[in-house]
Amino acid sequence: MNWFDKLLDWFSGFTDQWEKHAVKFTLYTTIAILAGGLFELVPPFFLTKTAEPIQNVKPYNALELAGRDVYQKEGCNNCHTQMIRPFKWEVDRFDPGHSYGKDGYSKAGEYVYDHPFLWGSKRTGPDLAHESQIQPSAEWHKTHLINPRDTAKGSIMPAYPWLFEESSIIDASKIADHMRGLRKVGVPYTEEDIASANTLLAGKTAGDALIAYLLKLGRDTAELSKSLQ
Amino acid sequence: MSSSEQKYNDTIVKGFLISGLVWGVASMLVGVWIAFQMVYPELNFGPYFTFGRLRPLHTNAAIFGFALSIIFATAYHTVQRLCRVKIWSDKLSYLHLFLYNLTIAAAAITLPLGLSQSKEYAELEWPLDLMIVIWFVIFLINYFATIFTREEKQLYSAIWFYIASWVTIPILFIVNNLSIPVSWFKSYSVYSGVYDANIQWWYGHNAVAFVLTTPFLGLMYYYLPKHIKQPIYSHRLSIIHFWSLIFLYIWAGPHHLLYSPLPDWLQTTGMVFSIMLWMPSWGGMLNGFLTLTQAKQKIKTDATLKMLLVGLTFYGMSTFEGPLLSIRAVSGLGHNTDWIIGHVHGGTLGWVGMMSFAVIYYLVPRLWNTNLFSEKLANTHFWVATLGILLYIVSMWVSGISEGSMWRAIDETGALKFPNWVQITETLKPYRLFRGIGGGLYLIGLLIMIYNVVRTILNAGSGFKEIDLRIGSKEEKVV
Repeated sequence: MNWFDKLLDWFSGFTDQWEKHAVKFTLYTTIAILAGGLFELVPPFFLTKTAEPIQNVKPYNALELAGRDVYQKEGCNNCHTQMIRPFKWEVDRFDPGHSYGKDGYSKAGEYVYDHPFLWGSKRTGPDLAHESQIQPSAEWHKTHLINPRDTAKGSIMPAYPWLFEESSIIDASKIADHMRGLRKVGVPYTEEDIASANTLLAGKTAGDALIAYLLKLGRDTAELSKSLQ
Repeated sequence: MSSSEQKYNDTIVKGFLISGLVWGVASMLVGVWIAFQMVYPELNFGPYFTFGRLRPLHTNAAIFGFALSIIFATAYHTVQRLCRVKIWSDKLSYLHLFLYNLTIAAAAITLPLGLSQSKEYAELEWPLDLMIVIWFVIFLINYFATIFTREEKQLYSAIWFYIASWVTIPILFIVNNLSIPVSWFKSYSVYSGVYDANIQWWYGHNAVAFVLTTPFLGLMYYYLPKHIKQPIYSHRLSIIHFWSLIFLYIWAGPHHLLYSPLPDWLQTTGMVFSIMLWMPSWGGMLNGFLTLTQAKQKIKTDATLKMLLVGLTFYGMSTFEGPLLSIRAVSGLGHNTDWIIGHVHGGTLGWVGMMSFAVIYYLVPRLWNTNLFSEKLANTHFWVATLGILLYIVSMWVSGISEGSMWRAIDETGALKFPNWVQITETLKPYRLFRGIGGGLYLIGLLIMIYNVVRTILNAGSGFKEIDLRIGSKEEKVV
């Protein structure tokens, strides 16, 4: 392995020098770790194909957004994914009604208003990306959230009865602030959208909001898909 | 007071070692608890102690409480010795210790309250993120100032790995945590959807690289040769594996997003670099192993050495499993399943945990100037922990592969064989129960060590004598 030794001699020739100069060493280390980072993080923002917007996808309304906050707060993403991979068995399981035609897997355009993304990394419970098409009943969701064992015997999901208690009624002005914040990062909320928080959230509990969010998941793209079929 | 105590500041090392033990117990206790929640949902005590809120507490306490404490303890200990100078500022180091523990304590309160950005390993809300930046900058100033005032010209390889970590961690942390605050306890990521996912997993994977790997390689390069009193096997191997490791690791993030809507070219880049990463990882492992073989006759008696050996073995195993799982076809089966949980814990319990324990057994007697209270208990700790890890990983392998296979099983008519999700959950229950037991054993091992450490500290100042355990304490040899 003579060539390899030569390569090593050549390489260690200058690394030996760096090892005596802390500034140089730190600088070259930084360059080494920045190369890959820049290559992977920067170009996606400039390539139009990274996330082609799907025209029908609309931002979450005040109630759905409040529900998304609850979803994040309770850490639902620790057990539920929101990303369906392009496998027959995955599409069949999470698009049983074929709402999306042949394409019941997730597309980048579905997530353009998601700050942050909630794809999750562990699927202890089922995927929820298209939950509105799998379980459209709000009543079912309420029963399920209050005690998951009532709708699915053997489920290991925690029970969330407090989400529906009086103390969980949502403060509309807070959600309006959240919408203003999201507008700063690019979600196209209008003044009307923000003003509607008061009416949409009147008397609503965290549980009601969470159900509204679950029934929004996958709804816009399913509607588009149905109109095309 | 020995001369080393006058020359170096060891109080800061002691402080971080004790934080490590405290947060170690906290993280593992929560870990065992949530493991049993996966079998017995009654263990979810709402609203503050449900799985969804405790899981981030477990991961944050383990990575940023336990592992980072050990990293800072060893960083302060090694940098003074390798540079042959005292830490640049004692005051800054104590401020670092104080603010660091304050942040982790605040994390332990805010996460059960549900204040979470919900990005994995970056759940802490923005005020805590700012606190982290502050103490990290304080630490960086102190660390680099120590290096610049050093009396030893050559930077030894252990220091390279620490420097690479200090350079990378802030970049990862800041870029991924950029968000718009909407109140004191709530913020939204500035990135959306697929962009957010890409940046999150660039961060997530490199937290594994630059928090859980490079600092631990750094401490291996220092403590392993020190402990066996033999030089590292190959300096050249350390050069080549260091530079290739840090260059390649940063590209591997997208392997968490295979088959997702992330652009294909990015997914493929992530996969290819993950596979290439196998070589520098094993370069580090081999350098450790070959160094260790120089003292192989001590393996039977020396619990610290056994822990280093098992740590290295699990490093090798996890860094083989990682590239394997990053191959698209394997990811298709393993992604989102318990297999990944097993893989992560092979690295954390096996590599990070065992290396940390070895370092604690090495440092505590020396820092408190006495001998370890019981070598026998250290040995018991080793066996209980090893058994715990094996039980954990094997049950998660079986569980994960069963899970993935049941999801994809299709009958002759083309329909799903297991359309009922709960049926799959029920099948996995026994394996998840064994996982909880494995984790419990590992926790018991840690408690044994803490008892041993406390008894050792109570005996502080009695004088440290190095004993060659092969000979026994009768013919002890003073070094």
